[in-house]
Amino acid sequence: MQVDISIINTYLLMVTLVAMIANFVLSLYGVFFKPHYIKKIIALSMLSDTANTITLYIGYRRWVDGVPPTIPVITNRSIEGIYDVVRRSVDPLPPALVLTAVVIGLATTLFLVYLGYILYTHYKTLDMREIKRLKG
Amino acid sequence: MWRMIAETIIYLIMACTSIASTIAVYLTIKEKDLVKAVIYSALQSALYTIIYFLLLTPDVVLVYLPVAVGLIPGVFLILISKTERWEKE
Repeated sequence: MQVDISIINTYLLMVTLVAMIANFVLSLYGVFFKPHYIKKIIALSMLSDTANTITLYIGYRRWVDGVPPTIPVITNRSIEGIYDVVRRSVDPLPPALVLTAVVIGLATTLFLVYLGYILYTHYKTLDMREIKRLKG
Repeated sequence: MWRMIAETIIYLIMACTSIASTIAVYLTIKEKDLVKAVIYSALQSALYTIIYFLLLTPDVVLVYLPVAVGLIPGVFLILISKTERWEKE
């Protein structure tokens, strides 16, 4: 019975990963093949979010013998407390990287939005095919 | 026994949320009305927030939720209101 539940857990985690890869592919399609500029920026922000989610997924730790994982915070500063955190906590490095990536993604998105506004004031359109045809 | 069922329930919620976010991404890519596309994108970000919480990173949730659900769709809506709303075929 325990083996069956473990197989179901692995299957559900694989469903999550496959859905994330599908999101990645759909966002790449939106970035490269959608003609409108705002749609390209939206797809780019979704692409970075999906990459962040896959990074956090790599750092996750599964339950060990029915004991749930914890967040990587040391509250009990004895040897046993540190041992418990090391044995149970998820990886603390991917959340630090993702925090930085979220803020940098916000700055990049704001810059691209400003560029889109400048494009519209020059060309009176945001369709990339039209802009390619007009050429300044 | 109930602990293993709890683990399965957590992974089940994570899988359902991932599939729903895939549907939201597909609707965002297919949508011609850019305001609706931005709303679907915010829905996808909200679903990702649930996944982040279940992956035990509440610090990322605290930063990601106001940025991706509040700030970026607001900036997109401002850009759409200043430029054009419909994507041509």
